[in-house]
Amino acid sequence: MKTPELYYVDGALPETAVPEGTPRPWGRTTVIGRPLPRIDGYERLSGAAVYPSDVVLPEMLYGAIVRCPHAHARVRSVDSAAAARLPGVRAVITGATPAADLRWYYTPTVFTKLFDPECRFAGEAVAAVAAETPQQAWDAARAVAVEYDVLPFVVDEHKALEPGAAAVQAGGNRVGEPVRYARGDVAAGFAAADKVLEATYSTAAEIHTPMELHGCVASWDGPRLTIWESTQGVYPVQQRVAAALGMPLANVRVIGRYMGGGFGSKLQADKYDLAAAVLAKLAARPVKLFITREESFVCVGNRPPMTMRLKAGVKKDGTLTALEMTVLGTGGAYPAGGTSLGDWLVRDLYLCPNVRTEMTDVFINGGPARAFRAPGHPQGAWALEQMMDALAAAIGMDPVELRLKNIPKVSQARGGQPYTSTGLDRCLTEGAAAFGWSQARRRARSDGPVKRGVGMAAGLWVAGGGGPPSTIVLKLFADGSANLNMGASDLGTGTKTVMAMVVSEELGVPLDRIEIENADTGTTQYATASGGSKTVPTESPAVRDAALAVKRQLLAVASDELKTPAEALRIEGDEVVSSADPAVRRKIARLEGLQRRGVIVGVGTRGPNPEGKVVNPFAAQFCEVEVDTRTGAVRVVRFLSANDSGRVMDHLTYESQVIGGITMGIGLGLTEQRVFDRQTGTMVNANWHDYKIPTAMDVPADIVAVPIDTPDDEANTAGAKGLGEPVTIPTAAAIANAVYDATGVRVLDSPISPMRLAPLLAAARQGGAR
Amino acid sequence: MIPAFGYVRPSTLAEATAALAAPGARAHAGGTDLLGCLRDGVFTADKVVSLSGIPELRGLRKNLDGGVIIGAMTTLAEVAREPAILAGYAALADGALSAASPQLRNQGTLGGNLCQRPRCWYYRGDFHCARKGGDKCYAAEGENQFHCIFGGDVCFYVHPSDTAPVLTAFDAALRITGKQGSRSVPVAQFFVAPAVDYTRETVLAPGEVVTEVVLPPQPAGTRSTYRKLRARGSWDFALSGAAVVTTLDGGRVRRARIVLSGVAPVPWRVPAAERALVGQPITAATARAAAVAAVQGAEPLAENGYKIELVRGAVEEALLRLA
Repeated sequence: MKTPELYYVDGALPETAVPEGTPRPWGRTTVIGRPLPRIDGYERLSGAAVYPSDVVLPEMLYGAIVRCPHAHARVRSVDSAAAARLPGVRAVITGATPAADLRWYYTPTVFTKLFDPECRFAGEAVAAVAAETPQQAWDAARAVAVEYDVLPFVVDEHKALEPGAAAVQAGGNRVGEPVRYARGDVAAGFAAADKVLEATYSTAAEIHTPMELHGCVASWDGPRLTIWESTQGVYPVQQRVAAALGMPLANVRVIGRYMGGGFGSKLQADKYDLAAAVLAKLAARPVKLFITREESFVCVGNRPPMTMRLKAGVKKDGTLTALEMTVLGTGGAYPAGGTSLGDWLVRDLYLCPNVRTEMTDVFINGGPARAFRAPGHPQGAWALEQMMDALAAAIGMDPVELRLKNIPKVSQARGGQPYTSTGLDRCLTEGAAAFGWSQARRRARSDGPVKRGVGMAAGLWVAGGGGPPSTIVLKLFADGSANLNMGASDLGTGTKTVMAMVVSEELGVPLDRIEIENADTGTTQYATASGGSKTVPTESPAVRDAALAVKRQLLAVASDELKTPAEALRIEGDEVVSSADPAVRRKIARLEGLQRRGVIVGVGTRGPNPEGKVVNPFAAQFCEVEVDTRTGAVRVVRFLSANDSGRVMDHLTYESQVIGGITMGIGLGLTEQRVFDRQTGTMVNANWHDYKIPTAMDVPADIVAVPIDTPDDEANTAGAKGLGEPVTIPTAAAIANAVYDATGVRVLDSPISPMRLAPLLAAARQGGAR
Repeated sequence: MIPAFGYVRPSTLAEATAALAAPGARAHAGGTDLLGCLRDGVFTADKVVSLSGIPELRGLRKNLDGGVIIGAMTTLAEVAREPAILAGYAALADGALSAASPQLRNQGTLGGNLCQRPRCWYYRGDFHCARKGGDKCYAAEGENQFHCIFGGDVCFYVHPSDTAPVLTAFDAALRITGKQGSRSVPVAQFFVAPAVDYTRETVLAPGEVVTEVVLPPQPAGTRSTYRKLRARGSWDFALSGAAVVTTLDGGRVRRARIVLSGVAPVPWRVPAAERALVGQPITAATARAAAVAAVQGAEPLAENGYKIELVRGAVEEALLRLA
């Protein structure tokens, strides 16, 4: 079975050396697992941290991009003369500028020009300017006169396949052949079922809207280009920019030490990098080009909307007999994974011998999708987990029990390879117990208009095990302080904190004596982008390997001085101590050998994952809602997330991930949706007011994290699996199930806003439902 | 990005109205929306006249008739926590507290809340719509889930204010001052329906500003509330809402005012719902009857039929709060 394509991989990856030997699993830990605050919390909160959007260089200019206002148009002419004459304007580039005649690749074979004459979505880049101030740049961008031939458009993925629909791409509106998957005999499975249910579910497109906008600062020094980028991965940005500009990788340095959120939308370079680099070259000045909040809604990605027809068969005893799913989705105007992984949970979450899926990805005149926190999974969970709820009701079984009946120990969609660990059953049972699930289900129903209900949903994440490559360089200085050098970005999840804890665990160095140098292609080693819930399971073992390399050298030094074999020495706080005779000890900072060397350098790498096994995290979430049946207003009262993500590295960052994932899932479930104007094909809610992300008033104070804290020692030497995505996969579906429990109304389309729910409730009252 | 404009901050009302008489002058109250509108090109300003330096426009005082006068520059946060409002005009405190977000309420003013421009996403977006001098309302055939079910004509926006319907229900009046002097206009006549003139939202003449909100005394037995329904818990305009003021006498409604928000281009009074209550006690049945009457004559667009349910729910819940 083909491994699903993972979105964080962009081209070939370098191989890194396999570590020498495998250390014993940690067992009990002293630092790892504690609830420790961020090591860079002060910098982030005080404003001392220099994010890419804070970078100011001498003589720096500001860039802005001219964007096509039409959903589909061909550029007839671009007149930049008036813009170039405006005060402060230092460079204007268009499709006719030789230095800007660059290619932008969506796939290895699909590309356009940087400023392509054919604009396939509103917000496509047409030209760019650089000026002395941001205001002058924006004014100049407005002053670039572009004449368009406006073309027919389609922004509704269902209409895109109708005869006569506007052609987004010359080859038609299908991205390719439908993606099909099958195992077993679905017809036989349905025939063997006691109950067969079928429904069509849909999720609306979501926008990432990270706090820090997308953008960069580009600066040339002779043939060398340095880019400060708000990114989840400096190396993917370096690769893309070097390739597009035809430059040696060595001459492109990308720095992204801090960044303010990405959620998958900052795993890659963007056209703005090329525009900034070219503007900076032509103006011979550094250029800062951050897009506006409004632009960020249309041209730097989205979660693809999906329409999912799902048919499911179950026996009275809860055995699933067949699942059949068809998905329609769109990644916008270019191939961008419009249905990517939408069927994965149907394929693999529950034991089911007979499964068939078919996914059709279509083009529309919309901005290209990008990976969005667990691509495809929250969408698939919206369908599958509501269906499981309906099946449970249909056979009169508790929804938790139905799921427990169908726990796979192997990845059925990957040829039956076993999981290194699956805590799905424990997530369900321990989550239900901590939530008080059975009691909450039994509670008396209100006769009033405000109804309470509880719901739950489960999930797994297709990846989350991490893997090579990663190389870490760790330096221990003569005074016992340490410098950790790693390529990975910390996208706000606490990566730096967790990695410092790994160093501290092995070497006893206090966290405030560990300095981290990260996310800089000029000074740190290759790392894949931070995404896919893989940063901790990828980097922690490599950091541990580096720390162990330092430890071996340190103990060798100490062995000479303490006249004790290295095997009999251990590190205790800031001292090296003999295990045999505790009186034999010396402070690390007093070791003469260390003083002479000045520094001990350890290099660590990430070893391979176990052959023939699958490393996935699992989750179950439970929530309680209150629904005002007169108005369709839903209030989330409380949430609980039980996660099997292997070892808990830091209880505090763990809880933060849970709170963040649930908050984002509440957005999918209750408030967020991209709205295109049907008359013009442009987005009408491209701002933070009309596009409604949840506020503090929409998120319950009562969010509980229940970690199934079991190290997965087979997965890697840290025993950790990913967490960032699993925490948002079941959330929206759990809310939908709770709304059903409260009202008897099943909401098949997200979001469950009053405008959707109130009419459904009214119809149910007419129909005599409870 | 924002075209250059002049800025003055006079310390007297006379200076302010003189400055505002110049063509292209715009009043600046809390300023929570002005810069955004200028930046987005919703309208332009040659000169911005700040009202923030005029002390008498701020604060609240008892009127001789027993009512209350609120300076137009009083912030929404101040209105929401003012004891005299909480005691005598609870619905106004509800309305002020339900607007926007805490930060915006600390800065936004009552006068500004009444005079705010439409929030229609076409009006605010890059659409040359009728209200901006174009030849059509994009909402009519477009994405109209947030638009009006009452009173639409040429333009189908909804008035965004949460305080305007409440003030209408209290029969409040506005003191308006311009270079030529002052006048008083009932709130109920302050807003201009698109059928009358779809290029303006209020009767303010160029250079005029709202200086005071005059709340008349309410009869004994009067209670009030404002119920707002929205798509998220904060920082959101009403999908629909109901301001209800009732005066009870011997357990029966002697007088009722029900004014809707979020469903019409002006605060939308529903006399049929009021009539359904007069002479009745407030019960589940009479509240329901009033709620049903409140949507009489509604003309939903393609995407906003749900507002009928929401209006019914808001009216019913508001009334039951007063039962």
